[in-house]
Amino acid sequence: MVTLATEVALLLSVALLVTVTAAMFSRSMSVTIIMLFYASLILGVIFTLFQGVLVGLLHIITFAGAISVLLLTIVLMTGESNLSIGNRTLAALIGTITILVVLASSYPLFGGMVPTTETTAGSTMGLLTFVWTDRPWDLLILIVVFAAAMIGIVNLLSEKK
Amino acid sequence: MYTDQTIFMTTATLLIFLGLFGISYSRNLMKTVISFQIVVFGANLALFSSGLGGASNVMANTLVLFSIVVGGSVEAVGLALIVLVHKQYGTLDPWEIRKLKH
Repeated sequence: MVTLATEVALLLSVALLVTVTAAMFSRSMSVTIIMLFYASLILGVIFTLFQGVLVGLLHIITFAGAISVLLLTIVLMTGESNLSIGNRTLAALIGTITILVVLASSYPLFGGMVPTTETTAGSTMGLLTFVWTDRPWDLLILIVVFAAAMIGIVNLLSEKK
Repeated sequence: MYTDQTIFMTTATLLIFLGLFGISYSRNLMKTVISFQIVVFGANLALFSSGLGGASNVMANTLVLFSIVVGGSVEAVGLALIVLVHKQYGTLDPWEIRKLKH
């Protein structure tokens, strides 16, 4: 019998592998950094959902926060960012991912699944539900602003080689 | 039957091998550092999943914390070296740098 925890683990693992593969094989350094940011975020979510809240938060702060900004700064300093503004395919791809992230994030707001099932590891996945019950729109807006800021900074400051 | 620990272990192995492939294949020092970061991700996930379902969860979390701190520090130093290399040689291609050196 496949539990909810196993399904969540499988989905998150597939998402992690897809983002990491996109980061590895993308020709544009800006896309690589955006994908690496999402990979860091997904790994932090995995840690947080499976009984490692402290580790997950520290991982997100360190890798999705500090190291991503550091990478972005170095890429802009060295002029390695060759993201051409007006690339419709890339814009459609980033837009689709952003919409999917927003939809997935807003799902619990409209009476969707709030993960409260016990995992096989004995962790409670409802640990973060207080965020959704207390300040749901704040968190959603924060996620959208975070994603938009990342894309906006790379688009505005990128220069062609 | 697949458990979440098996899934995470498999993912961690794939991440480590993807990162090692990137380190050996890439011709850009930035990509090398990013590949190193992916290896660190895989190591963190392997350490974390080794503590799932057992009594050693706290130990595994502590090891992941150490790994995050060490990985972040190494990456920051690597990026600083990349800036120096770019200032010195004007390129981030290791083969070009080797040519310019001799």
